[in-house]
Amino acid sequence: MTSTAFNRLGTIAFCLLFFGFLFGPLIIMVVTAFNSSSFPRILPWDCFTTDWFGKLANDAKLLHGLGNSLIIGAGVVALATPVGLAGALALSEVGPRLRGILYTVFISPILMPGIVIGISTLLFWGRIGSGLGFGFDSIFFDGFFLTILGQVCFISAYSMLVFMARLQRFDHTLTEAALDMGATPAQAFTKILLPFLRPAIFSSAVLAFLASLENYNTTVFSIVAESTFTTELASKVRLGIDPSISAVAVVIIATTLIGAIVHEAYQRRAQALAQGGAAAQAILANPAAAFIRHPATVGALLLALAGIAVYYGKGHDSKACEQSILDAKLLEQQRLQDEMRARTQQQQQQAPAPAAPAGSAAPSTPFGGVFAPGGLGGAPAPAPAAPKPAPAPATPFGGVFAPDGLSGGKPAQ
Amino acid sequence: MRLLYDFKALFDRYGVGVGSFVAVVISLWVFILILLPQIAMIDMSFGHNLPPAERGGPNDVYTLSNYAYFLFGNDGGFNTLHLTIMAKTVIASVVVTVFDLILCYPIAYVLAHGAKPQAARLMIIGLIVPYWVNEVLRAFAFRILFGSTGLVNGVGLALGLWSDPIDFIREDVALYAGLTYAYILLMIFPIYNAIEALDRNQIEAARDMGASWWRIHWRVVIPMAKPGIASGSTMVFMLTTGSLAAPQILGGPSNLWFTQLVYQWFNEASNWARGSAYAVILVAVCILFTFLMMRVFKVSIGEIGR
Repeated sequence: MTSTAFNRLGTIAFCLLFFGFLFGPLIIMVVTAFNSSSFPRILPWDCFTTDWFGKLANDAKLLHGLGNSLIIGAGVVALATPVGLAGALALSEVGPRLRGILYTVFISPILMPGIVIGISTLLFWGRIGSGLGFGFDSIFFDGFFLTILGQVCFISAYSMLVFMARLQRFDHTLTEAALDMGATPAQAFTKILLPFLRPAIFSSAVLAFLASLENYNTTVFSIVAESTFTTELASKVRLGIDPSISAVAVVIIATTLIGAIVHEAYQRRAQALAQGGAAAQAILANPAAAFIRHPATVGALLLALAGIAVYYGKGHDSKACEQSILDAKLLEQQRLQDEMRARTQQQQQQAPAPAAPAGSAAPSTPFGGVFAPGGLGGAPAPAPAAPKPAPAPATPFGGVFAPDGLSGGKPAQ
Repeated sequence: MRLLYDFKALFDRYGVGVGSFVAVVISLWVFILILLPQIAMIDMSFGHNLPPAERGGPNDVYTLSNYAYFLFGNDGGFNTLHLTIMAKTVIASVVVTVFDLILCYPIAYVLAHGAKPQAARLMIIGLIVPYWVNEVLRAFAFRILFGSTGLVNGVGLALGLWSDPIDFIREDVALYAGLTYAYILLMIFPIYNAIEALDRNQIEAARDMGASWWRIHWRVVIPMAKPGIASGSTMVFMLTTGSLAAPQILGGPSNLWFTQLVYQWFNEASNWARGSAYAVILVAVCILFTFLMMRVFKVSIGEIGR
């Protein structure tokens, strides 16, 4: 009994550690986006700031890359989904021998190093382009064209896996029934199979878009002179680290979380409705519950929350806090400098003591003691070339700044 | 012709329109997107690095010099620098794969047999969500974590575990951690799929007969999980060797990953022929090593990728 309890405890501890490893780095990265320190870190914490997001919003290169990524992503989704579907359909129908070969070929782009796909796409189309006599400004050397093709090469395989999982659950007797009732094979396909595959089409499109957006290894070769969101991000990271990159992560993670929560709400609702009975009744009978549990409501609520966060984040001004941190730093620096000065002076007073005339306060440094505390103020006092009458001002400005220095002259007139 | 005959079922079931769509699209995919580009790259790797004007001229002949360079360098001795980088990449990938296996096997088991359905569902969401974050950003997160003023150093110094900041980047700790993190998902799901098929009664039976927990795993669960472990390890190994972003961001300045060599031949040395040869070498070494490991662990190829 104790051993099972021990096992349970161990399992839970392992899971906690595991998910700590999974989420810890992301959470730390998110937190660093709000620290005003110019190096992304948590300790020491300087000020809560939202300035890094402002910097991000003004990063023209990154936004340009994002625009390019959206175009490429759309192209990849449009191509990879039908290709993946065709692959899955082919695998579901061909004989077992060919199936094995085809499956290996279809899956190979996933296992192939991404850079190899990028390089081979670049070389292949470049060769075709120059073979046909096109110049470097033709489509065969275009970063968008090459990147879309390079990414479709392996993202189609992801799509195919999604479709295969869905096809496995397809009941082929449905198609046969339709054929028996006089439908043409094409009708059976568009009226029966495609509607059945609709959820898979949706998830494969989302998956393809995300995979395209985040791809680096293939894109960095096939994009040629252009840039995408990820390649810009990577060059930013490689050139110099600053918390605006963490701010990118905050935006992406927030978007992801909203998407995941809405999707989960949708799934639970669909599941409850499909289950029927009490679970479905709870949603259908109560309009308020139905409204609250609807994925659109959940999504709108989360978006509103995000909007409020952005609104207040924009209004937040951390200037005062940053200034105080800067002041504190300057003060600290000042203190350290003073300390060092005092120390060097002490050392110098001790070390050259035998050489210097004993007892004299004469400064032995080349700077004439200006760094000694009171060195400047004290210097004019013993000046021998000042055989002036008693009220002679001690400062170089001749006492004009003395409270009655100027007015003091008037009565003399 | 047999090949076409195999497609007949497709035409029978879905009609000529859909059947020819499928046939045309998968031919385009296989030939235009997968095979021909690879052939173009292999072809390129056997050529000299010529300026465009000389292409097709008398100097444009096949050569093994790009491969010879990988082995021997310029001066006839072994090209120890590049050979070491290759060996280091493979060894590091094996280490990363083993880390992933150790981390993921228990989680996959818990997912399949330990956790209640609701908890398992939550765990799966928790596994997937981090992978929607960009690969570059994930590597960046580890850079923050392991930097000289990062949290790990901060905590370690505060607890007095070490007295000077440790350069985790130079020591490649950050790289190993980042790569292990990057491919967790690819290890968990194949193992999960394999273990899920295991009948719970077998575990119960073993337990009733008095087997200890590690014996149950060793004799009952792991044999069942073997195909999943094989395909997970293959994927993690292949993708780790082929990764570029994590080594670029997390790698120490003096330690290169083999993909970075390829990158340098293309982008810094502009020697595409040699870069292609290095890319071919990378793929060949990956595949050969995987086959070797499958031999060693007696896994057949058909078990992989289910």
